[in-house]
Amino acid sequence: MFTPNDQMRLARAYVPFQIFSQRLNPMEGLMKGTIFPELYFPYRRHHK
Amino acid sequence: MDREQLCMLKELMALEFTVLEFHLYLDTHPTDQRALMEYNSFVQQLKVLKQKYQERYGPLSWQEPSSYPWQWIEEPWPWEICYE
Amino acid sequence: MWFYEKKLQYPAKVGRANVKMAKYLITQYGGPDGELAASLRYLTQRYHMPTPQAKGILTDIGTEELAHLEIIATLVYKLMDRASIEEIKQADLGGYYADHDKAVYYVNGSGVPWTAAYIQSKGDPVADLHEDMAAEEKARATYEWLINLSDDPDLNDTLKFLREREIVHFQRFGETLQIVQEHLDAKKYY
Repeated sequence: MFTPNDQMRLARAYVPFQIFSQRLNPMEGLMKGTIFPELYFPYRRHHK
Repeated sequence: MDREQLCMLKELMALEFTVLEFHLYLDTHPTDQRALMEYNSFVQQLKVLKQKYQERYGPLSWQEPSSYPWQWIEEPWPWEICYE
Repeated sequence: MWFYEKKLQYPAKVGRANVKMAKYLITQYGGPDGELAASLRYLTQRYHMPTPQAKGILTDIGTEELAHLEIIATLVYKLMDRASIEEIKQADLGGYYADHDKAVYYVNGSGVPWTAAYIQSKGDPVADLHEDMAAEEKARATYEWLINLSDDPDLNDTLKFLREREIVHFQRFGETLQIVQEHLDAKKYY
């Protein structure tokens, strides 16, 4: 479980801010759907 | 659409996508100078490639010059292209 | 104002025509968590956003969703291309065919037409941004179920692209929510 810091309050949703550091090259970014590697979360298909 | 045109079109998509990604990032990070520099550099590259593409294959955007006859309605339209 | 760019955002391919898959996929055209709903939701909520970042992100993501709408239409068009009456009947799309032939229309996977009741514009920016984040998650889930339904690697390639866009949009809306909340707090307390 993550610990809230003193700038957070209850009953509120938080998404951490992205801090840009690196990017993929344009074609790889297009193929993956984002140029930001830290935002790339591919789907692993599961067979139910 | 021949291979050469398709290849250039995909390059264009990739550059425009990169510009879009930085654009959205900058909406919520307007003071990130490094991202802004990258954005401006890709905007420049996109402009150059788009110009080259349009000179060769006709207009992609609404406000472009046209040779005779009116080029905007030339086929294929985007949904008709085979992107293999 | 808007101008059209005569190209797709992504090179959308299908491996083969597949009427059944078209029937499932069309929900991302005119269904509750589809691209039309997303675009119209963001583009109408932007008028009540309190900060420049929020006005910008809703305008820009609302516009990108129109590009996704065009990709979905392209995929449906290609999946339905050259389908025979027999294939249409087998996919249980006879009802759709009677109303639209093979034209692309705004319905969900069960043929129910799009309605503005799918979206809200509450006038409360925090509530609206939560809806937008939920919309991105629901669209992400829809793309995952569609990928599960499809055995066409070319089609799945485009569906994976669209799914990843939902994740990036969620991140941007989350950042926007933070900015808007801080803005509203500052107005209240100082």
